[in-house]
Amino acid sequence: MPMDLPLSQLVSDDGSHVHRKIFTDPALYELEKQHIFSKTWIYMGHESQIPKVGDFITSFIAETPVIVSRAGDKEIYVTINSCSHRGVPVCRADQGNTRRFICPYHNWTFNNKGDLVSIPQERKVCNKPEKAELGLKRVPRVETYRGLIYACMDENVEPLTDYLGGMAWYLDCFFDRFDGGIEVIGSPHKWTINCNWKLPVENHLGDIGHGPYLHGSILQGTPQVQELEDTGLNVVPKPGHGLSVRLMPEGTPDEMCMFGMDGVAGMDPEVNQYLRESHKKVTERLGEVRSRLKPLCYSVFPNLSFLWPNMTLRTSHPRGPGQIEYWSWFVIEKNAPEHIKEKLKIHYTMMFGPGGLLEGEDAEAWSQQFSGSNIDYADDRTYYYGLGLGEEESHPEIPGKVGSCFNEHYAREFYLQWRQRLEQGIQETSKLEIK
Amino acid sequence: MTEITRDLISDVEQFYFREARMLDNREFQQWLRLVTTDVEYRVPVRYIPQPDPKKKETEAFLGVEQELSQGLEPDFRKENFFILSLRAMRAFKLNSWTDNPPARTRRFISNVEVLPTDQEGCYEAYSNTMIYYSRHQKDNHTFTAQRKDLLRLEKGELKIAKREVIIDWNIITGPSLSIFY
Repeated sequence: MPMDLPLSQLVSDDGSHVHRKIFTDPALYELEKQHIFSKTWIYMGHESQIPKVGDFITSFIAETPVIVSRAGDKEIYVTINSCSHRGVPVCRADQGNTRRFICPYHNWTFNNKGDLVSIPQERKVCNKPEKAELGLKRVPRVETYRGLIYACMDENVEPLTDYLGGMAWYLDCFFDRFDGGIEVIGSPHKWTINCNWKLPVENHLGDIGHGPYLHGSILQGTPQVQELEDTGLNVVPKPGHGLSVRLMPEGTPDEMCMFGMDGVAGMDPEVNQYLRESHKKVTERLGEVRSRLKPLCYSVFPNLSFLWPNMTLRTSHPRGPGQIEYWSWFVIEKNAPEHIKEKLKIHYTMMFGPGGLLEGEDAEAWSQQFSGSNIDYADDRTYYYGLGLGEEESHPEIPGKVGSCFNEHYAREFYLQWRQRLEQGIQETSKLEIK
Repeated sequence: MTEITRDLISDVEQFYFREARMLDNREFQQWLRLVTTDVEYRVPVRYIPQPDPKKKETEAFLGVEQELSQGLEPDFRKENFFILSLRAMRAFKLNSWTDNPPARTRRFISNVEVLPTDQEGCYEAYSNTMIYYSRHQKDNHTFTAQRKDLLRLEKGELKIAKREVIIDWNIITGPSLSIFY
């Protein structure tokens, strides 16, 4: 162990105490990359971003740069963006369409599957290199769920649907809500925040408690805040994943259950009309219970989040223990009319993304939390995650463990999952060393 | 078409300098009076596209436009008077945690160019802005951008009817794009 504390002291057995060092320690960060980011399913992007053969986007698995591309066989390939010859990136764009990825250094050329197709210098040598062995390194597992593209560096990982578990039922609320599906529009907004990567994830797992306070200048006293207190629930469908929802009581009129859209956008008559229309099919597609469900925010272990009211998917890409590159996309019903897409897009950027009113406050809190976590003298003061401890239970209508809207079990389960994966990873590595 | 005189160019420059002073002095409510009520304020994304081989050897190959969000693609910001007002008013609330404590900013406006338009009393204006941004103890950043404005004379006073801010970052490495450019 590079740390002087066992993992059991970093996250207490009930998850209610979390050591400050888990947000700051460089040795722990190395373990996270090795035993979490290299072992779990990581979100890459959405299929609507690469619909055509040759389309690609670039992404990351922790700090590992990857190309996500649609090859001639229509399949999606995820390859490491680093030439097999000298390591130079072979793709320098955020997105685009191409048949070939060409290394600028010596022009080694790869196709969309990452296979090496030409080495210009080989014409003057007798021992021809074995090209089949010199392709870009491929991330072995790629699967999609409702258009969400995931990749995993561990060949033996469980299938994506098993990994998502009960979270799929909730993901379907949005990603399977519409006949024509959803689409991600545009390249992601990207910005750096000086915080630990786990904090934005924790926030989207279900941190309702910060809303009226950190965001008080906008949200304080609004009906949405009251509705959250009245009907909000924090759900852990599977340890590590989590979400916040409002479950409206049976018999609630449709206009109170629509879409989970809040605030300014819903006040616009055209958007309101769209939401009413779109709600009509929900019971048919998702069933009665989910027609009364208004999700707010999701996180999928380890680093994908989804914010329903402002329709944004986001990933927290770590850049060391103290910085992230935060990526955020706008998602919407594919068949929504253009003027609705335009209005909801503005609803996203007004509140979220690097210029968003609410986002700026979140980033402020997360980066200040990182400063606080660095105070060695306070290391004996663990962070308290005990709100509602033991009060979560199963629910008659919705899957998973369910607690009140201020129950922090979503975070307890996340950090326990984190601890368990590190413990397991360390144990497996030490076994390998003994062999 | 309105003639562009030296007086007009000087007026536009003075207008920009006054605007910068107001913003650096955090007089956001007064700043709102410098924009029209039908203002369109936009900060597009600056992404890195795959080079288009069809455009090679031409200036279009490196055209800045192709790096900017367009159509339904979300800009970093696309705002009207209402959203700008919300930003301006919010800064003065006790619990506006991104403005409390406020950032110390210093704006430098240069490269002012004024061009005629088809509309009477409307001018197109280009300018560059460099904003030194300092928050808390030592959270220091420098923003640079080009501004493309449509200026309109309302009751003899210049106002901003449209502003497009072309920032020079791909990944935003400052703490926030929430400020007024």
